[in-house]
Amino acid sequence: MKLASALMAFDARIKWIIIGLIGWVLFPWKGLEYGIFESTQSEIFEAYAWQGVNTSLISLFSLITLWIRPWRSLSKALLIDAIISIGTFIVVLLTANYAKESLGYGSAIQLIVLLGIFSLTLARMGFVQGDPYMTTAIVFVMASIVVFVLFPILIIFSKVIIAEDGTFTPYLFFQNVTGFGVFRTLKNSLVMALLVGALATFFGLSFAIFTVRVTKRFSGLTRIFSMLPIITPPFVIGLSLILIFGRNGTINDGLIFLFGDGGLFTGEQGWFERSPYIYGFWGILLAQTLSFTPICYMLLVGMVSTINPAVEEASVTMRATPTQTFLQVTLPLLRPGIANAYLLGVISSLADFGNPIVLGGDYDVLATEIYFSIVGAQLDYPRAATLGILLLSFSLLSFTIQRRWIGKKSYVTVTGKGSGGFFQPLPRWVRIGATTVTLTWMFFTAVLYSSILLGGFVENWGADYTPTLAHYEELWARGMDYGAWPSFITTLQFSAVGAPLTALMGLMIAYITTRRQFVGRKMVDFSAMISFAIPGTVIGISYVLAFNTAPILLNGTAIIIIISFIFKNMPVGIRGGISALSQIDRSLEEASLTQRATSIRTIFTIVLPLLRPALISAIVFSFVKSMTTVSAIIFLVTADTQVATTYILGRVEDGDYGPAISYGSVLIVTMLIVILAVDKFIGRSRIERGQAPG
Amino acid sequence: MNDNQSSGVELKNVVMKFGEHTVLHNIDLIIQPGSLTTLLGPSGCGKTTILRLIAGLELPTSGQVFLGDEDVSVLSASQRDVGMVFQSYALFPHMTVGENVGYGLKMMGIVPNERTERIKESLDSVGLDGYQSRFIDQLSGGQQQRVALARALVLKPKVMLFDEPLSNLDSKLRRQMREDIRRLQQELAVTAVYVTHDQDEALAVSDEVVVMKEGGIAQQGSPKHLYLNPDSKFVATFMGDANIVEGEVSNVGGESKIKIGDIEIAADSSEHYADGKTQIAIRPEALSLIRSTTEPSLQGKVLSRAYIGASTEYRVKVNGNELFLISPTGSEEFEIGDEVHVLITPPGISPIPD
Ligand SMILES: Nc1ncnc2c1ncn2[C@@H]1O[C@H](COP(=O)(O)OP(=O)(O)OP(=O)(O)O)[C@@H](O)[C@H]1O
Ligand SMILES: [Mg+2]
Repeated sequence: MKLASALMAFDARIKWIIIGLIGWVLFPWKGLEYGIFESTQSEIFEAYAWQGVNTSLISLFSLITLWIRPWRSLSKALLIDAIISIGTFIVVLLTANYAKESLGYGSAIQLIVLLGIFSLTLARMGFVQGDPYMTTAIVFVMASIVVFVLFPILIIFSKVIIAEDGTFTPYLFFQNVTGFGVFRTLKNSLVMALLVGALATFFGLSFAIFTVRVTKRFSGLTRIFSMLPIITPPFVIGLSLILIFGRNGTINDGLIFLFGDGGLFTGEQGWFERSPYIYGFWGILLAQTLSFTPICYMLLVGMVSTINPAVEEASVTMRATPTQTFLQVTLPLLRPGIANAYLLGVISSLADFGNPIVLGGDYDVLATEIYFSIVGAQLDYPRAATLGILLLSFSLLSFTIQRRWIGKKSYVTVTGKGSGGFFQPLPRWVRIGATTVTLTWMFFTAVLYSSILLGGFVENWGADYTPTLAHYEELWARGMDYGAWPSFITTLQFSAVGAPLTALMGLMIAYITTRRQFVGRKMVDFSAMISFAIPGTVIGISYVLAFNTAPILLNGTAIIIIISFIFKNMPVGIRGGISALSQIDRSLEEASLTQRATSIRTIFTIVLPLLRPALISAIVFSFVKSMTTVSAIIFLVTADTQVATTYILGRVEDGDYGPAISYGSVLIVTMLIVILAVDKFIGRSRIERGQAPG
Repeated sequence: MNDNQSSGVELKNVVMKFGEHTVLHNIDLIIQPGSLTTLLGPSGCGKTTILRLIAGLELPTSGQVFLGDEDVSVLSASQRDVGMVFQSYALFPHMTVGENVGYGLKMMGIVPNERTERIKESLDSVGLDGYQSRFIDQLSGGQQQRVALARALVLKPKVMLFDEPLSNLDSKLRRQMREDIRRLQQELAVTAVYVTHDQDEALAVSDEVVVMKEGGIAQQGSPKHLYLNPDSKFVATFMGDANIVEGEVSNVGGESKIKIGDIEIAADSSEHYADGKTQIAIRPEALSLIRSTTEPSLQGKVLSRAYIGASTEYRVKVNGNELFLISPTGSEEFEIGDEVHVLITPPGISPIPD
């Protein structure tokens, strides 16, 4: 038995080594400047490891040593294996960094192989109860977190304290923070976030009260609300506001028609002029409030519906009027939920890039300023990094408050049992207020979304309302290499590749942090938390800074975009995984282990089948999220890797609202189809659950 | 099923820590092949941890675990030849009864025909043949328990582990199930380690009982031995009721005598006790009341009595101590306040040195 298991571990080790050797021989060791498909034969040839005396020999030597193992005792062999594998790993990275040579496919394979061997060795030394598969999974998760979460963040920080010439200048950060406009931008962002948080919470609460306590007739509302933020690309609300309120928007048109020069009620000289009032503070405020109200609603509706009616009954039997009951009992019970929704609104507003980029005007906020600092001729990386650090700090702060302070204070217990009793009627003013707010909002949202859907079918919204298919024709009918097709297909490809990986990564992190004990779990936990709070813009800027140079040169590739999808949307998988795993009794896995199933088979035969709904919804959700992502990837796309959102933004910048809007509606419809199809397939409400923030 | 496959279990110097918290201190434990050994002890004393160490669901911080002669200390659960019945049953909800029972066989690569055969055989042994295609949520609690048992048995493991297997059943079903478990265990002559909170259950089914206290073993022995000869106050009071009184042990010519008040009693000859003053645990059944006697006895006064059907319980005040005793219905009865003599008759008298 023991010999057999020893042999098995031995086998896996040799398999890794063989892969490593093949990789060493067959794949270019150094990174190719133009990618493997665009490079010339001689360029590829020169990049091979065996092209001369270079650092790749160290790796080759290590692999051979690991294979031969010229030492005796097993315990010593394990220690030496561990040291050689991880040591070579570090040496390969460091020498590449030192020599300013970027890693190629060959060296990437080498690093993976070394990590794989390291994992097996750790397992043999008793890491994670000696489980080789789990150890491998954990080591790879940790390595990818270090490379793609912690390392980029570290790089941002290093950019603001290390000057261009490499000298250590902590003073630089101070200089940057107090630099021109930084303080104003920070203030703008915070003011906006605090206001949006309050408004979105207020509206969300009104809707929650309306759907739960005023009438059940609109129960479909919950469903719509849960879907809207998922399928709406982040700048689309802003775009539709421009259509309605913009300089040439419907409202302005109407006002001009009525009160403008030669208007219906005015003479030659009107009292009204077109004005760009929607750009700037008010526009962003409106757009973000509209965008994030559904998120706050989703959080609050659960709370409102789990209030125990008996508490209100008790209040009424003590002679309280409905108003007193509402103010003294109902609202205080909701306080944690309200605070939670508020902070979520704040975090979302801070992170929002899409709305300010189309509506910003001269109201600059952190998320967009980061972008403007490095776009075009600016290329002010220290400033971008400084802004990124500020943004990250404030969203981490809000997130930490939300988690630590409020997360634990929930007065509302969810038992799943009907607690009996009936809700007391709410005071009249509350019912009327909630109804008014909800219906107005619904009307407004309906108008906005119709403008999006219709906007693509007219010549030029605001100027020429002649119905036309020209925009669609331009986007979709000029062959696969023109119009929207390249970016649309790229988007679908990237999202399709990224989604399963995102879901898997998220579930894996959920699994190893909740189910396994291992050294370094805290680090994974902490990184998971960072990934929950990190704004897309910060991911974008940190990736630009971290992966633009050797040793890991990924900028300009599709890989970096897919990776940014993975780490931006990973929280979805983590949340879904944690909540699904909490439903699965740990002893099921243990039973499987005592039934001779290895841990990996247990995962495939027990855990994954039971996690299937969570897995599917995480895949769908991250697919859709990837399609709408703009903040992280706007930093990373190139002409070759243009995706739908960046293409649309480009058109918006050029003032081509017609094509932008039609493309936006195609995206919305595509995502709706995907969600509905999968929903039908696996039963409803799974997807919304992935969305529930918390 | 042959019986030479069962093997003993041995824990040598096992220490288990969770972080800073030491849950098991230097456990040395030998479990005989083919026996049913119960781990008994208060909540949190480490019973489940020991089972999990045997199963391979945890690895010891230090020390060794042997199954038979094989050192399995570093083997994972799937590499060990043990079967486990979980408190929650841990039946796979997405599989039928047949698939649940056949799961381990499948993992071992047993061909489908043989699998079907063995599933049937195993379900039959727990009286559930014919339930193969049912799903778990279509079974009653007792049936689920049986499926869990069949699933563990079907692999014919060397060692069976039970973690409070009956705690989710009502008391009647519990009694029946424990008899079934005992019968199957004896039929298969498989080594079994059984964790329970319930002393009755422990005494009824076990060959051996291991009483645990705060991560250590307080005492190990046959149920009868532990009941009659506890060697600590903890074991004496944990296993049933015990009166603790002052006494003295003296060894004369190879025989131990226990002196309590004026009474001198020969100690259990299989035990050896050190000379000197010590505390003595006396089981209530070892005490009897009599109105007057010439034999050596303790004088006392009845404080309270409670008639409980098969017997009557008395509390008697003797020299400032309160003694608790049980007298079978039909023997002489006493009223509160009566002056009585208390006789002490072995067995059930045991010096407890600590
Ligand atoms: N995974 C763990 N991490 C930390 N502490 C643990 C873990 N598992 C058990 N413990 C601790 O180890 C001690 C022994 O636990 P164990 O489950 O073995 O007790 P037990 O005797 O089975 O108790 P019970 O009768 O309540 O089931 C307890 O103090 C428990 O809190
Ligand atoms: Mg236990």
